[in-house]
Formats: sequence, C-alpha cells, structure tokens
Amino acid sequence: MIALKFILTDGSQKVVEATEGHSLMEVAIAQAVPGIIAECGGSMACVTCLVRFDPFMAERLGAPDHMEDEMLDFAAAERTENSRLSCQIKVCSWKHGATITVPATQI
Amino acid sequence: MSDDRQETAVASCPFQSIGREYAAFEHEPMYAFFSRVRPLAPIFYSDEIGYWVVTRRVDALTALRDHERFSAEIATQPVQPWPQQITGYLKQRNFTNEAVQVACDPPRHTRIRQIAARFLNVRQFSLYEEQFRQLVNSYLDRIEGQDEADLVDAIFYEFPAQVVFLLLGEDGFDPRKIKQWGDLRLNMIWGKPSDAELEAGARDLADFWDYTVNLVEERKKKPGNDYPSFLLEKRAGDDSVLTENEIKSLVFGLLLAGHETTTNAAGNITLELLRHPKQWRRIVADPALIPNAVEEGLRFASSVVTWRRTAKEDVIVAGQEIPKGSKILIALGSANRDESHFDEPEEFDVERDNPRDHLSFGNGTHACLGAPLARLELRILLEELTRRFPNMTLVPDQEIEWTKTISFRGPDKLRVRLHG
Repeated sequence: MIALKFILTDGSQKVVEATEGHSLMEVAIAQAVPGIIAECGGSMACVTCLVRFDPFMAERLGAPDHMEDEMLDFAAAERTENSRLSCQIKVCSWKHGATITVPATQI
Repeated sequence: MSDDRQETAVASCPFQSIGREYAAFEHEPMYAFFSRVRPLAPIFYSDEIGYWVVTRRVDALTALRDHERFSAEIATQPVQPWPQQITGYLKQRNFTNEAVQVACDPPRHTRIRQIAARFLNVRQFSLYEEQFRQLVNSYLDRIEGQDEADLVDAIFYEFPAQVVFLLLGEDGFDPRKIKQWGDLRLNMIWGKPSDAELEAGARDLADFWDYTVNLVEERKKKPGNDYPSFLLEKRAGDDSVLTENEIKSLVFGLLLAGHETTTNAAGNITLELLRHPKQWRRIVADPALIPNAVEEGLRFASSVVTWRRTAKEDVIVAGQEIPKGSKILIALGSANRDESHFDEPEEFDVERDNPRDHLSFGNGTHACLGAPLARLELRILLEELTRRFPNMTLVPDQEIEWTKTISFRGPDKLRVRLHG
C-alpha cells in the first residue's frame, strides 16, 4: 500500500492509502480529500485539481508535459515550481510518503 | 441502492411507456417526471425525439467522459432538421460558422480548446470582476426606486450578454441587438420552431455572423486587449494553429454559450431562493454562503437540463445495448437530483455539502470553459441583489413560463417585489 500525505487548506493533514495505477486526482476524489475538485474528470480541461508537491518529490516527478505546463498557468492558485495537476500524476510505489499540499482555492 | 434499482430495471424491460410519457419540450413537470422515473429506468427511448434518455448521474458521467465512444458532434445540430431553404439561405449569406468547441471531437477539439483556454480561464475572468460589479449596479440603479420589477427583463437577460461583449472588447453594446439576435437562436436548434420563426431566426443568425466577421476583421487591423485579438495573436497567421474561420466561429460561439445559459441560471437560482424565503434570508444574513448557494442553484435548477451525444460504436449504457449511430440525451437535470449521490435531492439547501458535484457544466473534456465566468457573474448578481434588496419577495401567484427547448430551462419572466 502506498501512503500519501495531504496538507489541507486549514493546515491539517490527511493520510490516504492509494493503490498503484490510479491517478492522484482519482485517489483524492475517491477518498474525499477536500479542495480537490477535478471538474473535468481528468481531461486536463478545468485546472481544479492543482496540488503542490514537496520539493524532493517534485524533483523526482520531473517537468510536466507541454499541455500540463500551459494549463498550470491558468489555475486559480498561484503556480509554484512544485505545482502539478493531480490528474496527471500516476500513483506508484516510489511515491510512497509524498507530501502533497492542497491550494487555498481551485476556483 | 443501485443493486435494487438494477433489478427493478431488468424486470420492467425497455420502459416503452415511460418513453411515451416523456415530454421533451416541456419543463414544468420535468423534475417530478424524472424523480418518479429515475429509480425505475436508468435509460429509456423517446419516440418523440428519437433519442435514448439517460437518467442517472453515474451513466451520465460515463457518457460525458468517454469521448472515444460518444461523439459530441450532434451537440449543436438542430433537434428537428432545418429544411433545405434555411440551409440554402445561410449558405447564400456566407454563414460559414463551424464546430470548434462544444460540438467537435478530439483531436481537433483538443487543439482548439488548448488555445481558447488560455483566455477563457478563471485567472483571466477574475480581472473583470470590478467591471462586472459596476455593470450589475448600473442595472440595479435603474429599478432601485420601483416597488416591482421583472428581473429577467431588468437585468438577467442583458447582463450576461454585456459580459460577453466586454470579453470581445465591445463596451456598452446596443441591448436591442442583443435581444434581436438572441430571441430565436436557441429555439432554432433545440426547440420546435415554426417556419416563420426559422426564417426570422436564420436572418438573425446570419446578421450576427456578419457582426462576428466584421469584429474579427477590425481586431486584425487594430488589436485590443480582448478575446478575438488574443486568438489572432496566437494564430500569428498560421492555419495549423487556428484558421481565421475557426477564430470567427469561436467568437460567434462565445455569445451563444455565454448568454442565455447564464440568463436562465440567474433566473432559476433567484426563483428558487425566493420560493424558499428561509434560504434567501440565510444568504442575506451571511453572504459568504453565496458561492455554495450558486452551486446548489445550479444543481437544483440547472439552466442546461439535457445534453446530447451519439454512439460512435455499439455501446452498452445503463445496461442497455445501443447500436452505433444512436442518439443519446443525457438528462443533466435528472442526474443532478440522483438520490444515490445527493441526500434529500429534492430539497433546495444553500448549505448542502456537495452541490458542486452537479453536472450542469458537463464533465470530461468538454467541461464548460465558461463555468468560472458564469459562477463569477452569478455570485456578483446574488451579492448585489441581497445587499441592495434584502427584503425582496416574489410577486405571488405569478405563472412561470419556461423556454420551450429540450435543453435550456429558465423562466421567461421573474416578477419580484423589490422591497418586500
């Protein structure tokens, strides 16, 4: 089982267990992580599933692809160098223990 | 719950009688009809329009998200095909509007959406907030001294159109033209227009297309800080990015997508708030509830109650085999009251915890690009209405008439007592 730690907008933490193969967004929606909206269901059309990774994990993830990179600029929350769209991140074993911060707003 | 329902569904077979009861163009009994039918039939066939009708949220989501098997190309085609003389007339008027967004499939859709989204997004819209607020207040100033007003006529009809014109770089657009161009176009595609309405509508459509073409040509000569200028800049003369006709079609589509849908949403939400005075008083007392009230209004009384797809191959929807080429009507309004997802779905509650799970803006790759704009407009409208007219009530015993189309639902008039 892969454990992922979400830092919520009120500062509290929520640790969720995830299985390999799903997207991070799907995991967040399935486990009702507040602040992840994902209105388009993972089509990279709405930019409402933005998250920020811890710097270590962000570096391991590498750069977003061209389309995700562009969409990140239009998010409601300010983009940081560690911002990603959670619908584009696949859950896998080496992501165990990642710390993922939910932005103050997605809309 | 879903297991129980499935058994009922199998037992009572293809729901022919339900299909006959469905009045696709009528909105008054629609929600009552669906709340009765949804537990029995996840899908039924409507002979009246020749569509399979999907009633539950889970199946609606499947169809909306699966653009490989469900084509969107039908989304803006006339429900009742236009006669030759209308298509001939539009051709003669050089009406070359083409499907660029809501009614086209990937990969074309993806290419165009990616560009349009660089302007149509929450960040860009938020820059207009103060302008929108001033616009709302300029409308409300005109009715401030009155006892009664029809809010649709006084503000809801024009405001969203003026918002679109602001995005197009047109300040203070002639409201009479808004009315003229808007009156018939939804009816032409989603309604049952008479021949005379079709003729008048086609003329208005062509006139509005001419306006769009001229606007884009003007922006080519003199670019501004607006949507058409932005699209032209991105195109930079390269047809593989966007053609000029695609730009004109995008500009044309913006008013179609952004006007009556929001007009109707404003009417629907305000009507429900005033029909439930306790809910109105809650947002008056605590305006921080307004964004959630907007979502609940969109859920409870969506301005887009159905949306269309065609099966690109043989598919199974809600347990029903549907052959390739079949037309599917996704009942968004029904999905929004699906008891398997929303507790007490027939209750209107501005403090509901999951109203945002509604499908009123669609879902999947076609999820409405203008959703953040509509939300912003509706929030500002409610903020200013509650601030300026906290004691507002409905004029009692008024008959609400709904637009007669299969997809769009909103009150034609909404008469209120402004000061209670």
